Amino acid sequence: MSHDGHHSVVIPAPGPEFVPHTVAHHFDTPVQEFQSMKLGFWLFLATEILLFGGLFAAYFYFHESYPETFRLGGHQLDWKLGALNTSVLLLSSWTMAMGVRSSQTSQKQKTLFFCGLTVLGAVIFMVIKFFEYRAKNEHGLIVFSELFHPYDLTTNSLPWFKDYDGVMAGVPHPHLFFAIYLTMTAIHGLHVVIGAGLILWIMKGTAKGRFHAGYYLPVDLVGLYWHLVDLIWIFLFPLLYLVP
Amino acid sequence: MSAHSHSQGHADHGNPALQMGHHHVSSAKMFFNVLVALLILTGITVAASRVDFGGANMLIAMGIASIKASLVIAFFMHLKWDTAINKIVFLCSFLFLSLLFIFTLADHATRRWDNEMHTVRTPVSNEFVYRQQPHPENH
Amino acid sequence: MTTNVPVIDSHAAPVAGRKNFLNCSSGFLSWAGTLDHKRIGIMYLVGVSLAFLAGGLFALLVRLHLWKPDGMLFDNVQYNQIFTLHGAFMVFIFVIPAIPGSLGNMVLPLMLGAKDVALPRLNLLSFYLWLAGALMATLAIVLGGFDTGWTFYAPYSLYTDQAVVTIGLAVFVLGFSSIFTGLNFIVTVHKLRAPGLTWFRMPLFVWAIYATAILQVLATPVLGITVLLVAFERLYHIGIFDPRLGGDPVLFEHFFWFYSHPAVYIMVLPAFGIVSELVSVHSRKPLFGYKLIAFSSLAIAIISFLVWGHHMFTSGQSTYALFAFSFLTFFVAIPTAIKEFSWVATIWKGSIALNAPMLYTLAFLIIFAIGGLTGVILGALNVDIHLHDTYFVVAHFHYVMMGSIALAFFAGLHHWWPKMFGVMYNETLAKIACGIIFVGFNTTFIPQFIMGSRGMPRRYATYVPDYMGFHQASTIGAMVLGAGVALMVFYLVASLFQGKKAMQNQWGGVTLDWLTPTPPPLENFDEAPVVTTEVYDYSTLDYKAMQTPVA
Repeated sequence: MSHDGHHSVVIPAPGPEFVPHTVAHHFDTPVQEFQSMKLGFWLFLATEILLFGGLFAAYFYFHESYPETFRLGGHQLDWKLGALNTSVLLLSSWTMAMGVRSSQTSQKQKTLFFCGLTVLGAVIFMVIKFFEYRAKNEHGLIVFSELFHPYDLTTNSLPWFKDYDGVMAGVPHPHLFFAIYLTMTAIHGLHVVIGAGLILWIMKGTAKGRFHAGYYLPVDLVGLYWHLVDLIWIFLFPLLYLVP
Repeated sequence: MSAHSHSQGHADHGNPALQMGHHHVSSAKMFFNVLVALLILTGITVAASRVDFGGANMLIAMGIASIKASLVIAFFMHLKWDTAINKIVFLCSFLFLSLLFIFTLADHATRRWDNEMHTVRTPVSNEFVYRQQPHPENH
Repeated sequence: MTTNVPVIDSHAAPVAGRKNFLNCSSGFLSWAGTLDHKRIGIMYLVGVSLAFLAGGLFALLVRLHLWKPDGMLFDNVQYNQIFTLHGAFMVFIFVIPAIPGSLGNMVLPLMLGAKDVALPRLNLLSFYLWLAGALMATLAIVLGGFDTGWTFYAPYSLYTDQAVVTIGLAVFVLGFSSIFTGLNFIVTVHKLRAPGLTWFRMPLFVWAIYATAILQVLATPVLGITVLLVAFERLYHIGIFDPRLGGDPVLFEHFFWFYSHPAVYIMVLPAFGIVSELVSVHSRKPLFGYKLIAFSSLAIAIISFLVWGHHMFTSGQSTYALFAFSFLTFFVAIPTAIKEFSWVATIWKGSIALNAPMLYTLAFLIIFAIGGLTGVILGALNVDIHLHDTYFVVAHFHYVMMGSIALAFFAGLHHWWPKMFGVMYNETLAKIACGIIFVGFNTTFIPQFIMGSRGMPRRYATYVPDYMGFHQASTIGAMVLGAGVALMVFYLVASLFQGKKAMQNQWGGVTLDWLTPTPPPLENFDEAPVVTTEVYDYSTLDYKAMQTPVA
C-alpha cells in the first residue's frame, strides 16, 4: 500500500537492541492501534469459545442420554496422565504470562526464556497426548488405522471401535464417549500446535528486537491465545477424565 | 476512543512506556500465586471426583473448573485490567453459549416428560433409541 | 456550516484529474493485493453479483422444471441438487456476504470518517476466504453435487452419496469470512469513529451493520462446528447426529438453527440499515424514531438468539420447548414493526424524490410488510404444524430474503453507485426495471402462498395436477423477475462505460459518506473530518455539491 508517510507515528525503540515500531497508517495514535487490535482479538477469542461450545453442548447432551456410557468410558482414560497434562498446561500458561510480562518490560532474554519454556510445555503436552492415544489404539477403543474406513450399514459395525478387552460391554452406544473424546481432544490438540507455532513466531520477532515496552502487542495477543487453549482444557479435564 | 485518540496524537513520543495506552504490568509474585491456586484447585477437582455427591457431581466439577477459568481469565489474560468493552465481549461469548446450552438441554430434558405424560414417541426420543422399548400399542 | 469545512470546499472546486481510489493505481495486483476497503468492497460486489446470477439461474431452472406436474427438465436427484444449489449459493455465497461485504465495506468507514476499516489485512483475508468458499462450493458441483438442501439435515446428509464434505468445508470457510468481516466492523465502529461522531450521531446503516456484526461473531462459530461435525460424521462416524449410533438428529437441528436463525438477521439487518438511510435521504427528512430504530436493531440481534426452535416445530422437540420457542418468536415482531412504522413515518410529509433508489425502497417497504406478517403467522405453533414445509414457508422467506433483502441491496446499490464510480445509470431504465422486478416478484410468490396454504409441500420434483395453475403463474413470474434483473445488470454495467457523470452529492445526503469527494480519494478524506452536528440534519445540506459534477 503506498501512502504518504507524514501521518504515520513511530514508537521509538527503548534501546539499541530493539527496533522502533511504525503505527499502521490508518491509525492516528498507538493507543488506537493497540486497543483496536486487542478488541479484535478478544472478539476472535469469543468465536473460539462458541466454536468449542458446540462440542461441549454435544457432550452434555449425550452425558444426559447415556450417563453409564460416559462414566465407564471415563474410567478407560488414565486420570493420572490427564492430571499431569493439566498441570503441564497450567505451568505453560504461567510461563506464557511471565513471557508477556518480560516483553512488557523490554527484557529480551527473559521473554525468550519463558516463551521457550511454554513451547516445551506444548511439546510435553502433545507427547503425553500421543501416548494416551496409543493406549486407546492398543485397546481397540479408537483404532486409528481404521478411523476413516467405511461404516458397514448392514452389520451396523463401526470400523474404528473394536473394544478388544470388552471393557465397555453392556452400556449403550459405547463408541460415543470415545468419538466425543477424540473430537474434542483432537481439535484442542490442533489449537495447542497452532499456539506453539505462534509462540515460536513471537520468539523470532523478540530475538530481532521487534517487541518491547513500547510495542509488545503481538506477544500479548499470542499469550491470550495460549491462555484460551489452557482455559478449554480446564473444562475438558474433569469432563473427560473424571466424568461426573 | 476517537475523541481522546486525536488529542493524544504525537504527545506521547517522549515516553515509550505509555504509548500503548493502558499498560498494566502485573507482579511476578501475583502470577506465581495464581499458578499455585490453579494447581491446588486441580488437586481438589481430582479429590472431589472420588466422592459421590449424587446429582451435584457435575455441578461441583464445573464449579471448580469455572473458578479456575476465572483465575486464568482475570489474571493470566489480564481481563481484570482490560477495557470495559473487552470484558463485555468475552463475557458475552459465555452468555450466548449458555443460551445454546439452556434451550438444547431443556428440550432434551423435557422430552422425557412428553413420553411419560402423553406416550408420544417421536422416532428420535432417547428412550426409543436406547432402550428399544416396545410401543404399548403394538401389543 | 457544519461538518468538515475543507472537504466541502473540495466539492466546490473539483480539481480535474485528481486521483481517487479507482484510478490511483492500476494493474491486477493493485486490486488483488489491495488493503483499501473501497476496492475490497468492489471486489465483493463483483463476486456476490456473480453468485446472485448463478443462484438466480438455478432458481429459474427449478421454476422451469415445475411447469408441468411431472416435471420438465430433471430426474428427482438432479432436481434435489438444483434446489440445493439455489439455496446454498443464495444463502451462503450471496445474501450473507452481499450487503456487509460490498456496500458495508464501501460505505461504513466513509460514514465513520475513518481512513479504512480497523483491520485492513483481515478484511482482504475475509474476501479471499469468501472466494475460496465460493470456489469450493463450485468444486462440490464438479465432484457430483449435493442434494441435502442448504440445511444439510442429518441423518440424510450423513449418508447421501454426494459431495457433502466439500460443501460442508466450503460453508466452514465462508463462515469464517463472515466472522472476520463482522469482527472487523465491530472494531471499526468502536475505535475509528471521527471526533465528534458519537454513538447517536452514527448513521443508521452503521448501527445496522454493527448489530449484524455482533450476530456474525456470536452465531457463526456454532455453524462452523456444526458443519465440521457433519464432515467428521461422514469421515469417522462420531454418531452424535446419527440415530443408528445413538445420536440425535434433532441435536443437529438445534446446532444448525442456533446459527441459521440469527443468520436470517445477519441477512436482513443490513437491508434495514440501507432502507433507514434511503428513506431519510430521499424524503430529505430526519429519521422518525432514530434511537428506536438503532435500539431495535440491537433488540432484534439479541431476540434472534432465543427463537431458533421455531424452525423445528415438527422435528420432535419436546412440547415444552415448542411452547417456549413459539412464544418468544412473537417478540421479534415488536422491534421489526417499530422499524417499519418509523420508515413510513419518516416518508410522511417528506420532500419525496421518486428516483430509482427510492422506488426500490418503497418496493421493499411493501414486500417486507408482507414477508414480516406472514412470519408472525408461521410463528404460531398450531398454524405452523399445517404450514410447515409447504410453499407458504417458501413464499414467506422469499418475501424476506429475495423481496426485501435483495431489493434493499439493489436500492443501496443504486444509491451509492454514483458515489462508488462517479457515474449515473440510466434512471428511466432503472425505474422500469424496478417495476418489472416488483411485478415479477409478486407474481412468483403470491401463488406460492396460496398453494402452500392448500398443502403443496416444498422441495418436491413433482406435484398433483391441481396445483398446476399456481405453479405456472409462479414460473411466469420468475421469468419476468429474471428479465427485470437482467435489465438492471445491463444498465448498471452500461453506465460504467457510457454513463453520464454523477454529481458530487447526487442525492443530497448529509452523512459523512456524501461529504468526501466523489469517488473518494484513497484515504477517504482530504482532511480528517470532525463532526459537529446531529445526524440527518438537512439544514446543513450543501446544495452546490448537488449541482457540481464529479471531476
